Amino acid sequence: MILTIFFFFLIPILNGSLIAHLLWPERKGSALLLKFSLGIGMGLGINSILYFLALNIAPKQINVLAVEVVLFVTLGIIVFLRERNQKWERRRFLSLSRIQWGLIIVGLIASAMLVLIFVDQSIAQPQAGIDAWSIWNRAARFISRDPENWRATLSPDLYWHDHADYPLLVPLNVAWGWQMIGSENVRVPMMVGAFFVLASIGMMFATVALTRTIGQASLATLVLMGTPLFVWAGAGQVADVPVMYFIFASSALMFLALTQQNSAFLILSGFMAGLAGWTKNEGLLLIVACVVALIVVNLKELFRSLKFFLAGLAIPLTMILYFKSIAPPSDLFTGSSALVQILDISRYWMIFGALGRQLLTFGYWPFSIFIGLAFYALLMQIHWETYFDKGLQALASTILLQSLGYFLIFLLTPHELIWQLNTSLYRLILQLYPSELFLFFSVVSEPEKVFKPT
Amino acid sequence: MRSVLQKVAVTLLALACLYSLVHYWISVRSLNTITTGNQAVENWEARLEPVKQALPIKRGIVGYVVEWDVPGVKYAFGDLETEYFLSQYALAPLILVQGAKAEWNVAILKPDEIKIWERIYQGKFDVTCLKNNVYLLHRRGAP
Repeated sequence: MILTIFFFFLIPILNGSLIAHLLWPERKGSALLLKFSLGIGMGLGINSILYFLALNIAPKQINVLAVEVVLFVTLGIIVFLRERNQKWERRRFLSLSRIQWGLIIVGLIASAMLVLIFVDQSIAQPQAGIDAWSIWNRAARFISRDPENWRATLSPDLYWHDHADYPLLVPLNVAWGWQMIGSENVRVPMMVGAFFVLASIGMMFATVALTRTIGQASLATLVLMGTPLFVWAGAGQVADVPVMYFIFASSALMFLALTQQNSAFLILSGFMAGLAGWTKNEGLLLIVACVVALIVVNLKELFRSLKFFLAGLAIPLTMILYFKSIAPPSDLFTGSSALVQILDISRYWMIFGALGRQLLTFGYWPFSIFIGLAFYALLMQIHWETYFDKGLQALASTILLQSLGYFLIFLLTPHELIWQLNTSLYRLILQLYPSELFLFFSVVSEPEKVFKPT
Repeated sequence: MRSVLQKVAVTLLALACLYSLVHYWISVRSLNTITTGNQAVENWEARLEPVKQALPIKRGIVGYVVEWDVPGVKYAFGDLETEYFLSQYALAPLILVQGAKAEWNVAILKPDEIKIWERIYQGKFDVTCLKNNVYLLHRRGAP
């Protein structure tokens, strides 16, 4: 059954990877890994959009798998025709240094452990946590059990905690998977979760390897994989790891676009930002953060960069706008007295206090990873000259603006602040965590410099 | 000296990541040996299966009656809220709303609680007792 589910999802994933390859024909090993990692998110994103369109146009009558297969054949032919006369570079793994091999081996051990943990957790909690089945898989059930009446999942009559307003990328993929295999098998949401965990790891390694070194990429990936919350949330069948992945993908692609002066990355960045908004409401904030970051950092070429970013954003944004026009309003924007809350100093203290506690305990690490990384940065050299790098400025601005947005949400939430902080702050930090790690490992000295042969 | 410290830092960071994973893995392994609460989802679905079969409608709004709708009955809100989520998940795509507000309603009440509830709504609903303290309530006079 697992293999059957895997093969159904493989077609959209390959389509995503082929689209990424068509936009960015780079053939380096790390570039191919990046395109496959992007392909996972893009493929599942496109799949959800196609299924969403099918539900709206003619539910139960349009075969999304057939559309995906046609797309795959078309993209395959285009790529084949373009690639047949190209020379492919041979990757020489033997040229890696000892420290690079060492870190790669540690990384492989960590990957194996991560797989075992993911499997163990999925066996122990096949239905995952309450958020998984009450929000995400509930929505998937509404869609898969009654596709013709799928809009019932957006009913304002649903209890507010069912979050009928939440976007549908994850539930649509789960519902599609269930439809493909003909049963509500829990392995479908498990596999969707696994794909996003895998894609995040691949993205981290590939982007750092592309911009820095293999050793630095291995370390950055190790820190991500070594964060228990990442595995916990990934196996938890919720949308926090998918939206984390899209936030990271969009930010990293914007970084690549500005450092390598390649517009294709901006198109991809816009598309990924759109998919972030199509996954979770926090992604909507990312769209705004990315646009503002582009305006702040790339003012001289603003029109050009915005043009490409918006071109990528257009399709998912259209879906989001349509979806929001039929979905009930978010529970976060109902009946709060904004001004009173903004002027309430105690709320600031509570938010900063909770942030401070997260600084010490984030991610279920046995120690504080943030303090650990601060010591690591103190010992290793920091490349301050990168301060002027436009890509890094954009990345840092996006993280900062997104964090500011989260802060405002806490400040203005109509729910009890302590409850809101306890139930969501750690997940919001997780959503920005890979982008922060990418920024960190982009400015800190790489291990190859320390271990260089004398 | 700095170079040695840097080497130690890189090594420690890599090993700390492995340690963190081992540490977490041990806690996940222990999940296998204790009750994880996940059976609650399957058990609840099995409990509501008779009402799912008995309901003549497969979409639309269904009322949901539990302890919070019975005056004088003590209840823990958190438990009832979780039971609501379980019921909503089990009965999807039906939409559960609090109280006997629809033509068809599901009640999950103990025998003494349903008696109190029936006294209040005397003559207004046909009550069908299913298994495990689950009841199907049909509003009289509804088409």
